[in-house]
Amino acid sequence: MEALIRALSYKGIPLWRHVQVVQWTTQIVSGVLVVVLVVWFFANIGNAIQDREIPSGFGFLDREYQTPIGHSFLSYDSSDSFLYAFVVAFVNTLLVSVVGVILATALGIAVGVARISGNWLVSKIALAYIEFFRNVPLLVQLFFWFYIVVELPVWQDSYSVADLVFLNNRYLAIPFLSPSGLVGALVWVLVSVGGIGAAIFAYRRLIDREVRTGSAAYPILSGFAITFLVGALAWGVLSVATGDAPFSITVPNPQEPFGRVEGGFVLPGALITLMVGLVMYTAAFIAEIVRAGLQSVSRGQRESARALGLSGMTALRHVTFPQALRVIVPPLISQYLNLTKNSSLAGAIGYSDLTNVAKTMTQTAPAVSIFLMVMIAYLVLSLTYSLIGNLYNRHIRF
Amino acid sequence: MSSNVQMDPGGMETGRPLPPPRLSRGAVAWLRDNLFSEWHNSLLTLITAAVIGLALFFGLRWIIAGADWAVISTLGGRMIIGQYNIEAACPGQNCFWRPQAILLMTTALLGMAWGVVGNGLTKRIAIAVAVVLSLFALLPYGLDTMGLDVRLLLVANLPALGLGWVIARYTPLRTTKRVSITVVVAFIVALVLLRGLPGVPGLQTVSVLYWGGLMLNLLLAVAGIAISLPIGIALALGRRSNLPVVKLLCVVFIEVFRGVPLITLLFMSQVLVPLAFPENFPQNSLFRAAVVITLFSSAYMAENIRGGLQSLHRGQAEAARALGLASWQTTLLISLPQAIRNVIPAIVGQFISLFKDTSLVYIIGMLDVVEISRAFIQGNTEYLGSAKELFVFLALVFWVFTYGMSYVSRHIERNLGVGER
Repeated sequence: MEALIRALSYKGIPLWRHVQVVQWTTQIVSGVLVVVLVVWFFANIGNAIQDREIPSGFGFLDREYQTPIGHSFLSYDSSDSFLYAFVVAFVNTLLVSVVGVILATALGIAVGVARISGNWLVSKIALAYIEFFRNVPLLVQLFFWFYIVVELPVWQDSYSVADLVFLNNRYLAIPFLSPSGLVGALVWVLVSVGGIGAAIFAYRRLIDREVRTGSAAYPILSGFAITFLVGALAWGVLSVATGDAPFSITVPNPQEPFGRVEGGFVLPGALITLMVGLVMYTAAFIAEIVRAGLQSVSRGQRESARALGLSGMTALRHVTFPQALRVIVPPLISQYLNLTKNSSLAGAIGYSDLTNVAKTMTQTAPAVSIFLMVMIAYLVLSLTYSLIGNLYNRHIRF
Repeated sequence: MSSNVQMDPGGMETGRPLPPPRLSRGAVAWLRDNLFSEWHNSLLTLITAAVIGLALFFGLRWIIAGADWAVISTLGGRMIIGQYNIEAACPGQNCFWRPQAILLMTTALLGMAWGVVGNGLTKRIAIAVAVVLSLFALLPYGLDTMGLDVRLLLVANLPALGLGWVIARYTPLRTTKRVSITVVVAFIVALVLLRGLPGVPGLQTVSVLYWGGLMLNLLLAVAGIAISLPIGIALALGRRSNLPVVKLLCVVFIEVFRGVPLITLLFMSQVLVPLAFPENFPQNSLFRAAVVITLFSSAYMAENIRGGLQSLHRGQAEAARALGLASWQTTLLISLPQAIRNVIPAIVGQFISLFKDTSLVYIIGMLDVVEISRAFIQGNTEYLGSAKELFVFLALVFWVFTYGMSYVSRHIERNLGVGER
């Protein structure tokens, strides 16, 4: 009662100008408004699904998909389930994204460095590349590459390099390693990875020694030598032990009557188109990020490096670039995300990525459920990239 | 640098004057500094020059002798207005004058902008646009394909420009604010003109399904740009606010829209959103697409503007508070203008990617300039061989717009003195 009287006889700041009152009212009103809108939206969809008898739920995931998928890295058969088909499509998108990110980074760094090169001609070429590829929609670029591939010869008249590599309007086939026995191949891969690890370790130690003593210790040479030696040694030992080389090289061999390829590794034309388009487009953005990063390193750093007698390339690798990375990495991550999301344009040129397969799936399964799964898949991919990037970013910060 | 001779210790020791310094000006010096400074640089120059030479040779040979550009003139006006003028869209009438009237309105607005801003870049852009548009009247089509009325309306862009200039100079519409309001009104009028008004003779409704071509891309881009900027600002402020509920809502919105491909969102807007409305509710797929593109873009815009807000020194806001400005005044008058100025390149970059993203409406079956070209090639396989030419041309068309946008942004930045104070 007393509290009520106090509240009624409140003489302080008027309520509509009282900061806390205003803030809390804003929050409650906006929160309630959004919640009501979202609930209304999804309740309506739920009702519509019931009333119009639109299929929904996730029961379809165990059913057979019964539709071919154009190209897949995992082995897939039409009798596999929807869930497995979804995973297959997700792996396609994942691999396109990872390989695309690696290639686009390499090309982007090269163009970015060329952009600030002292050589006028090289710098202007890099500028032209950036300004053109950045400013034209990816879709137009993809269609351009698509029709270039369409005009390649049919498989009987493939461009071929010594009957090892075949390029035609359907695929690029290259020789590839195929494992002879599972155990031998696995052991060799593991040992070789260990060898690369050892090489990186040796590289770091030798660089340290170079910095400490000032005399040449050949870190790069040693790294490659160790990698090669470990690999070759393991290959030899395994060949003797199992009586067979761990891998054999298979050469692609197009077969009559439809040009099906036996052996080797076959990249379908749509995948090549997608890769070329994505990499050329994203590299233009990455180049600009790299250029801005390199230019953000203060002049004094470069000049000190020169004064210490470091050559241009060495100064770039050990002085400028590590410092530029701090500026480069955050926008670089968002370019990786863009590349991943842009790979969803694959459908336009007939490559079976996640979005494209999901779109086809909606013809025989509930669209709502499928696109919920697609959105979650892309969000997971994005968040993973962000996480890795942020961890790396923390690692390279001061 | 004649003092070099005396100051150089080497010269003093030998008693002989050093040779004069090498050239530091002129063409030869420029070539030496920029192309042939060291042996590896010279090698790089020669290799690059050789590659460029070969590329130019084969490129030019293809453009002049190899390429067949007929596909572009065959597609012609369809690239600009899509199917707007076909019989099914506009039965018994010629609707071509409606997009053209909008074009005239646009040049008039450019003229007004020129009149208000004065000379400089605005004037050059306005005149260039009007002249190029009127030159389209000289395209060598037969009069049956491109009628005299169409050509005259194109030439009318020149007087429209002048009219706009006169209005902005000598009528009450001569302040920037009034011209801005006119632009908004004109955009609405343009939409009504395109859609048509039922019951008004000559203005029969044209379903949005027939809107297409470059017109559609520009329409979506203009609407998206105009609306995504304010939404983006609101989201950025929300994300930086110290009200937990508002902040959470903004973060979720931004991250969800940034985490998913636009194409997936567009597809969902066609599959999912209609279910949320009653079956007989008037549905407009183009409107839904426009909303999705705008929201998608505003999530990115919010992050750009947040970056700009973070780049401000906190002293700015504190000084404003010390002067007695309320917090909304601090935000609107002190923080935001500086923040936006700091991130103009990022904002314009987002405008550019919004414009490029308008080509994704193919997923909902709209025939924008890219999709109508692709559909044409697919439907007329005799042109399959010159699909390359068509897409090179489209790339150039997009490039002109996007490069123009970044050129204007650099000009604005220079005028605002970004990075100088």
